[in-house]
Amino acid sequence: MSTLHVLSHSPFGDDRLTSCLRLLGSADAVLLAGDAVYALQPDTVPFSALQARPVNLFVLVEDAQARAIEVPDWAEAIDYPAFVELSVRHAKVNSWL
Amino acid sequence: MAAVSLIEFIMKFAIALFSAAHAPSSRRALLFAQAALAGGHEIVRLFFYQGAVFNASDAVVTPQDELDLPKQWRAFINDKQLDGVVCIAAALRRGVLNEEEAKRYQRDAISLSAPWELSGLGQLHDAVQDADRLVCFGGA
Amino acid sequence: MAKSLLIISRQSPWSGPGAREALDIVLAGGAFDLPIGLLFLDDGVLQLAAGQNAKALQQKDLSANLQALPMFGVEELFYCAESAHARGLGQLSLDEAQPLATDQITALIDRYDQVITL
Repeated sequence: MSTLHVLSHSPFGDDRLTSCLRLLGSADAVLLAGDAVYALQPDTVPFSALQARPVNLFVLVEDAQARAIEVPDWAEAIDYPAFVELSVRHAKVNSWL
Repeated sequence: MAAVSLIEFIMKFAIALFSAAHAPSSRRALLFAQAALAGGHEIVRLFFYQGAVFNASDAVVTPQDELDLPKQWRAFINDKQLDGVVCIAAALRRGVLNEEEAKRYQRDAISLSAPWELSGLGQLHDAVQDADRLVCFGGA
Repeated sequence: MAKSLLIISRQSPWSGPGAREALDIVLAGGAFDLPIGLLFLDDGVLQLAAGQNAKALQQKDLSANLQALPMFGVEELFYCAESAHARGLGQLSLDEAQPLATDQITALIDRYDQVITL
């Protein structure tokens, strides 16, 4: 059974991303939404952390666009219909509120 | 792009919100809910807890040139005949009262009306039991 | 068969209503005889620190509600050992809460049908 984790806080000065990555199951996926997309800012600790480990990584495209964050090829930019599909594909959704 | 699924799974969603209308997560919740219905899925309940009770407030005044999320929620719930439940304890604590509660607690300010219902956390649990998927929106 | 729900509580006890409102979800579930689990993670473990004094902040004492959980049929109580260690927590105020290592938490989340992390 896999879980889709949803993060929406900036990874700087917040421990949600760190805790999420620590607890991630091998079949789990992570969706970066809202300020969590800042984790894809190059030359940062969160960026390196995400790049270094194999994570099924998704990014809400509107949030990356709003923040001028480029989505690397090891992550997938998605829209809301795809977000819904992801939530169906995984057994449960864990939003880190 | 991911592989196209050959079998369409129709899912029942319970959607819970935890942040106020001005939080980005509340707008995301609405867009997700709309996409879920557009995708042929069902929404068993929308449950508003903690600061999310403010999404249901009649008293929120939004500038003309800004996104009016309480108004959009109301339109969505009415239009799609959805069950929009606001946690009564969370609402009272934050000063969001319907006519009945305003009378009960002798408050002048009535800020919640139909289609919103005030109810307990049992309704959240009920929705979780009924739904295939629980998706929560809140925090930021 | 009833779906199981895991509540992951990450808020410290006195940073707002978050800790209390997470607990309310757990208690409501227990009252309806649903299979509910509660995990304290990150700052959430601070709710379990011994010797707290709610009265000093004119707040309600959460520990009474925490102690009452088994009476509500909620016996699946856990805390993240790493979070507790990082925050220098020794003796915890809730004997019934089991410490879990990281991989045990991954397995715990996997075991439950639904999860709310707040």
